[in-house]
Parts: sequence; structure tokens; C-alpha cells
Amino acid sequence: MRSRALPLALVTFTLMASMVLVLSIDRIQKATEAGFSQSVSGVDLIIGPKSGSIEMVLYTVFHLGQPINNVTMKTMNEIESSPDIDWLVPIALGDSHKGFRVVATNLPDYFEHMRYGGDLPILFAEGDASSKISAAIVGSTAAEKLGYKVGAELFITHGSGNAIEKSHDDFAFQISGVLAQTGTPIDQAIFVNLRGYELVHLGWQSGTKVFGVNNVNIESLPDHALDPKTVTAAFVGLKSKFKIFPFIREINKFPTEPISAIIPGVALAELWSIVGLVESAFNLLSWMIILICLIAIVTLTIASLDSRKREMTILRANGASLFYLARLVIFESLVIGLTAVSGAVLFVTIATSFAEHQLSSMLGIKLQTSFLSLDELIVFGIILGAGLLSSLIPAAFVYRRNLHQGLS
Amino acid sequence: MILETNRLEYLYSSGQTIRFPDLKIRVGDRVLVTGRSGCGKTTFLNLIAGVLKIQKGEIDLIGNRFSSLRPTSLDQIRADHIGYVFQTLNLIPFLSVLENVRLGIQFSHQRTSKAPEIEPEISRILSALGLPKNILNRQISNLSIGQQQRVACARALLGKPELFLADEPTSSLDPKSTTEFVQELINTFDPSKQAILIVSHDPSMVPFFNTVIELDN
Repeated sequence: MRSRALPLALVTFTLMASMVLVLSIDRIQKATEAGFSQSVSGVDLIIGPKSGSIEMVLYTVFHLGQPINNVTMKTMNEIESSPDIDWLVPIALGDSHKGFRVVATNLPDYFEHMRYGGDLPILFAEGDASSKISAAIVGSTAAEKLGYKVGAELFITHGSGNAIEKSHDDFAFQISGVLAQTGTPIDQAIFVNLRGYELVHLGWQSGTKVFGVNNVNIESLPDHALDPKTVTAAFVGLKSKFKIFPFIREINKFPTEPISAIIPGVALAELWSIVGLVESAFNLLSWMIILICLIAIVTLTIASLDSRKREMTILRANGASLFYLARLVIFESLVIGLTAVSGAVLFVTIATSFAEHQLSSMLGIKLQTSFLSLDELIVFGIILGAGLLSSLIPAAFVYRRNLHQGLS
Repeated sequence: MILETNRLEYLYSSGQTIRFPDLKIRVGDRVLVTGRSGCGKTTFLNLIAGVLKIQKGEIDLIGNRFSSLRPTSLDQIRADHIGYVFQTLNLIPFLSVLENVRLGIQFSHQRTSKAPEIEPEISRILSALGLPKNILNRQISNLSIGQQQRVACARALLGKPELFLADEPTSSLDPKSTTEFVQELINTFDPSKQAILIVSHDPSMVPFFNTVIELDN
């Protein structure tokens, strides 16, 4: 082996690099899927108007599309009073601010209960969640793009457009906190106090402003005046996970209003299966890299065939058995293969631990620091097996032809 | 009897057929096969070494009839009973002298048992062949052709195989070195257990051998 130290080192390095790619793609793929399915976590159910689960998860979690209907707060209060409920955070959607979706909710409850990427709390980069009626909290991307800091004021716009006539310019929300990056749709959202949201809609009827609230004295309003009448949906935590399915059945049969409950994880998995093309692309990429790996092994084998054939023929001329020659090449390709595998695993593990924080905060991807999964073992098995088989080529050559051909 | 060949014939792919003379080699024999280039000397030696498959006739090496042996058994017989110096030497260039010489007995228990202390034995053979003591750990690629030929001979002599075969071992030596080399070789081999069969077209070697066979078709 030492006679071919440089080419062997190069092929080991090539193999290792390919395996690092295969491992990284596999891990990023799994982490992306896990990150996607954990875009929202800590939530047992999402309750909203009767609709499909994907639709509901699209507008409640990804803030995409428009809810068809709302749910009355009376219904939400009724649900909240159920003994199975641990907590319930309503959200109202529909407004926006400079292209970023506004989520009106109970502050600071929302940030106490919501989690992402498994069990990560939503952290504040600056400020905190105030319970004031005018409080607004800005997601990290929105804050960065709009240049917002704590203390800045913002007006929200009715609907998702930018039309001036639709602006709620009679009441300013004040930013009390800027969120740290999560890599989820939270980064693109602006959260406002639900009561404040109700306030700016006081003078609106059927999407048109009837009167402004500039002159309304908030202090003089009765307590219940700013209680929301309807909300879009609510995130719910149950006291016991065992109650999830009976509770869903109960909600779906809710007598006074057509509402439904979905399990966010299940809905997200359904959505992922639609976006499954990405997964297929990942798989295709992995297999292409594996193919390149195999080509690299076979190329090296063929390139070194002549020198190996001569070396092996000399060994055979001195009495080496086929078993000995096979053992020699198997040992060599095992050393190359195992060095490449362990190097790749070591590299990816070290790189994962370094990149974990960045990936988690920038993309919401939480890489698993697992050693090797069964899938990865199978892939490595295939590569090692192919390496072993192709390394047997020179040994087989030596035995198939006349000994004198290799010696003259 | 160490070796007996009987009615050996070899048909080349060119269509030419060579008939070889019957040969009987006993312990202590020193046989030289000569002849002009292309007369089949190397083919004859390759057949005897089991490197070429016999097509017609028979070879008997210490009771082993080549025609009835499978290639793997033939490899083992060769490892146990024959020390072969190929014309192209066939040393492994990246191995040291010691490692190359050791190859001669690495695959034969029988020859290993005849050289219980391998390193002193290799040193002894190398110095008997006129190589310096400090050569053991040098790489083959750093040696002169003459030194490489001696290393190849040492590999063939280690473990005292019954038959020592060499194909033009002095082809790249000058006349003086040739004489010295053959003398050293004959001094190193054990006439009570071994026999020598050398192929060469060099007439200056004739005096060192007790049997000379001239191939002429």
C-alpha cells in the first residue's frame, strides 16, 4: 500500500468528500423535514373554522392565504373553559404591515406557549412582550428589512395590500420587542396585541373605514368594548396528550358553530408530503453522489490495474494463493473505505457541532448530532461493497490468465 | 530424481511448434540450456516452472505430475520446490531487499522450515552472492541491475528449494562479472540437496556446468 500512498490518499480523500456530501445531504434533508414539521411545536391542536387541515396550517402557521371564516370569541371562550384545556391563545389574521403579515394575539401569552424546532422557546433579540394594548413585536426578518427597533411606531394596513385608504393610520402600535431569528415564518411576522387589533377595527364595517379612532378615548371605553368578537384560529395546549383525539371529535361536532381542530404535526407532515418533490430531489442528489463515489473507486482500480497485476503476479509466482491475493486487496479497500467512512463521520459530526447554532438560527434547521443512521449505514455498506468487489478485479485477472503473461 | 520431462511440445499462437528434449535432473546436477534466440529456451523453463501450462507431454517434479495438477496446486508446488530467477527478475520495486528475498519462502511452509532464522540466512546468502551487508533495507529501485540479479537469485535460493531455475541471469553483466556471479551462485547452492538449471546463450558459462543441452529446432 505504501508504494501507492499518494494515489491511495487521494482516492480516500475523494471517497471521504463524497461521503461527507452524502451524509450532509441526508442530515440536512432529515433536519429540514424535522424543522418543517416543527415550524410550530408545543401546540397540541389548532382550532379554526371548518376547513381542510393543510389550508388551516397554511394560514395559521405559514401565514399564507386567507382564512375563509372566523370563529366567534364566544366559541373560543367556551372551548377554553373545557377542563381538558391547559391553555388557549387566539390569533386574528388578515392585516399586514408593509408586506409583512400581522398576527394579532394575546401578548405575552403567545410567546410563553409557542415553541419551534422541537422545544425551542421564541426568544427576544431586543425588548420583551409587553401586555400594553399598543404593543407590537416584530419578527427578526421583518425588523431587519424595515429597520425597526424597540420603541418605533408602526401602522397596520387592512388586508394584505398597501393601499393608503386601507391603512389603520389612526392608531399607532409601538414596538416593545424584536424577536431573535427562528428560521420559521415567525421571522416574517409582526405580532400585535389582540385588543389593539380590535381597537383599530372599531370604526370598520365590511372592510371599509366608517369612522376613525383618533378621537376615541381608550380609557373611557367599557372593558368589554375591546374584547375581540371573532378570531381566525387558536393554538391550544391540552392537559393530557391522551385527550387529543376525543377532543378533536368533540370540536368537530361543536353544536353552535362549524369549527374543526387539527394536529399541527400531522398537518405539517401532510404538507411535507406535498412538497415531497424536494425530498425526491435530495434523494436523487444523494444517489448521484454515491454513483460518482463508485465511479471514483472503479476508476482508481482500473488505473492501478497494471501495477497491481504485476505485483500480484509476482506474488503468485512465489506461491501466493488466490485467497491470499483476495485478502490483500480486500484488506486494502477496507482500509480505504473505513478510513473514508470514519473521516466523513468525524468531519460531519465536528462540522455539525460548529454549524448547529448558525443553521438553527438562520434556517430553523436543527441538525441531529446522531452518529450514523440505518439509512446511512446501508449507503456506506453499498459503497464499501462496491469498493471491495472492484478491488477484486486485479486479483481475478491474475488468476484468469496464464502466469507467464504477467511476468514477461 | 528431482525433475523428469517427457516428450514436451509447445505450440505457439504463431503456429510454430517446438519439441523439447527429454530431461532428467538429479540432486547435485548443474544443467545449462543454451541455444540461439527464439529457440524456446524461456518457454522450456516456464513449462518446467509451471508458469506455462503444458500442452503436450509430461513434467514430473519430485513425484508431482504437472498435467494432473490444478493451477493453484501448481503454484504451491512451485513455491515449495522451485526457486525461479525470471529474465525480467520480477522483484517488487517498492519493497526492500529483505522483503523481496523473504517472498521466496513466504508462501511455503516447507521452505520456511528450512530457514528457521530468516534474517541471518538471507544475510548469509546475500553476502555469499557478493552483496554488501548494509543492503538489506535498501529499496530494490535503488540497486544496480547486477545487484538486483543477485537479490533475485537470493530469493530463489532461500529455503533451499530442490530445483534452482534461472533465465539468462547474467544477461546484463560484463564477462568478468558473469564469471564471478556464476561462481558465487555455484558456491551458494547446496549440491547435496539441490540442482541447478540455467538457461543462457552465453558460451562462457559452459565450463561451470556438468550437463549442457543445446536447443536447436
